[in-house]
Amino acid sequence: MYQHNGEEIFVIDGHVHLWDATEDNIKHDGGEEFIQCFYDYHTTFTPEERQWDLDEYRRYGADRMVEDLFSNAATDMAIFQPTYLTDFYTEGFNTTEQNAELATEYPERFVLNGTFDPRDGEDGLEYLEELHEKYEIPGVKLYTAEWRDDSKGWRLDDEEAFEFLEKCQELGIENIHAHKGPTIRPLNRDAFDVKDVDDAASSFPELNFIVEHVGLPRLDDFCWIAAQENNVYGGLAVAAPFAQNRPGKFSEIMSELLWWLGEDRVLFGSDYALWNPDWLVEEVLEAELTQEHRAEYGVEWDIETKKKVMGENIAELYDIDIEAKRRAFQDDEISQQFGLEDHYASEEPAAADD
Amino acid sequence: MSARMPDGPTRAAVRDRLDRVTDPELDRSIVELEYIDSIEIDGEHVSVAFTLPTAWCSPAFAWMMAVDARDEVESLPAVETARITLAEHMHETEINRGVNERLSFADAFPDADGDVEAVRAELDEKARVARQYDAVETLLEAGLDAETIVDLRLRDLEAAGSGANTAQSGSTEAAIDDETVAIYAADRSFAVSVPVAPLESYLEKARETGLVTEPDERLFRTPEGEPIPLDSFDLVHRRGRLAQVNMSSQGGICDGLREAREGRLEKTADD
Repeated sequence: MYQHNGEEIFVIDGHVHLWDATEDNIKHDGGEEFIQCFYDYHTTFTPEERQWDLDEYRRYGADRMVEDLFSNAATDMAIFQPTYLTDFYTEGFNTTEQNAELATEYPERFVLNGTFDPRDGEDGLEYLEELHEKYEIPGVKLYTAEWRDDSKGWRLDDEEAFEFLEKCQELGIENIHAHKGPTIRPLNRDAFDVKDVDDAASSFPELNFIVEHVGLPRLDDFCWIAAQENNVYGGLAVAAPFAQNRPGKFSEIMSELLWWLGEDRVLFGSDYALWNPDWLVEEVLEAELTQEHRAEYGVEWDIETKKKVMGENIAELYDIDIEAKRRAFQDDEISQQFGLEDHYASEEPAAADD
Repeated sequence: MSARMPDGPTRAAVRDRLDRVTDPELDRSIVELEYIDSIEIDGEHVSVAFTLPTAWCSPAFAWMMAVDARDEVESLPAVETARITLAEHMHETEINRGVNERLSFADAFPDADGDVEAVRAELDEKARVARQYDAVETLLEAGLDAETIVDLRLRDLEAAGSGANTAQSGSTEAAIDDETVAIYAADRSFAVSVPVAPLESYLEKARETGLVTEPDERLFRTPEGEPIPLDSFDLVHRRGRLAQVNMSSQGGICDGLREAREGRLEKTADD
């Protein structure tokens, strides 16, 4: 739990991966381009002294991940969001099965999400059922720009996609995370266009649609849709690191999000291993909105808002009981490993003086 | 053919033309963004080399910039041909060949679905909305109210000097200088002078998107292109602000990626 001005904030990182981009696993140029692109994002926003080298970035492994996420208690829990990319990587880039390696070892600390691809048809529906049966996945991460043979992407409002969303509803898989982020490699069509979320969200009001990367570079389309569909949420992965090297821009993006979506529908995510939560959480929590933006938008990045965005909002979506978790973490394996027993055992601190 | 200038264009003239080419996603000049690596002039033949922030920039966007650069430079009377070279891009071969051989996007990229015009139209529309925010801010600062602003027509704008021919020519009654424009309001019962730049910039995109071309047409629109209902004025204005925040945030990412890549390439060169 992050200590902030005398208060404790339970942090759930809503967007993490355990990926493998080693050269042995790459089967298409796109795979190498993809990890190089990630690495440029990494070095762009990571403080210089915290940057990784490309080799460790290709494959960091389970132990390092656990340490990066939990050792200093900046993060308390994390949610795996798989990215298959099986046309680019022989064994996939970051599959549910790869993520399950850790998620099943530390079930209290990780939430494991699955995925679907409507282009897989009947086989895909079966696979989704399998994932649900085997891992009880509470959500899926969808990558609409994924290449599959001749196809360079799909849309959430396709008829085929609706069949899969119906299946999710039937199975009780309520959290639909759609990657709507920076354009990596579409040709002319925009496979990360966020507009397809609109129809899907209004057609499936019982599902939660979490738009990852708050739609950047389509923040405008995203906010407009979210303003009308109250089951649409914004994941901060990629927007969060602006707090580190462009604080004025972070203030502006956050002000827009809080104005259009409100403080209940914005969710923190580090996008690990793009960025490490061990420094990012601090940067985001210590960030401030500028006086100008506070006056202009009439919103606050105060302690209550921070608690919601950093953990409470996503806990609500995933039925996580934060107080029960806190008690459980007083002597779980990870607390023992990193000597955090006292950290979680501490009494609820007195309210801050100010 | 008409007589040609013997010595080709000046560097300044080429640069001025390139300055009119924008990154369609950011709505900023490719000169200002420092994408241009070199300009070479050999008589009537001009070569321009440019690099984008990452090798993974959308091929559609890269294509638009390359085609626009070619066409802008070739619009100079002293230029016979412009050769454009995009460097360090995953699709540089297809783009350079396509643009210099004057192919269509669909011919240059056989596995794309159709052409880039729809993408361009969508980005132009976003740029229009973002520019509208500045134009409307200018009017609000000048003291016009929402009711007046939503009702303004193209004919209510009258340019001051010859360099700023914003609407119909002719009237110079309200002229102060080249940098202001007169806005006639309340059935032309009064006029307010405001800086011309934000309005000109807005009108350029409003015309490009085909929204405001006739004198009687409403000047400002919703992002969907409709006249603005008075009770939606604040919301529409907010959406303009949001469009600007989106573009500048993406600009921040692009700037960062460009620096990261330059750093990486320098490091490689040092090794």
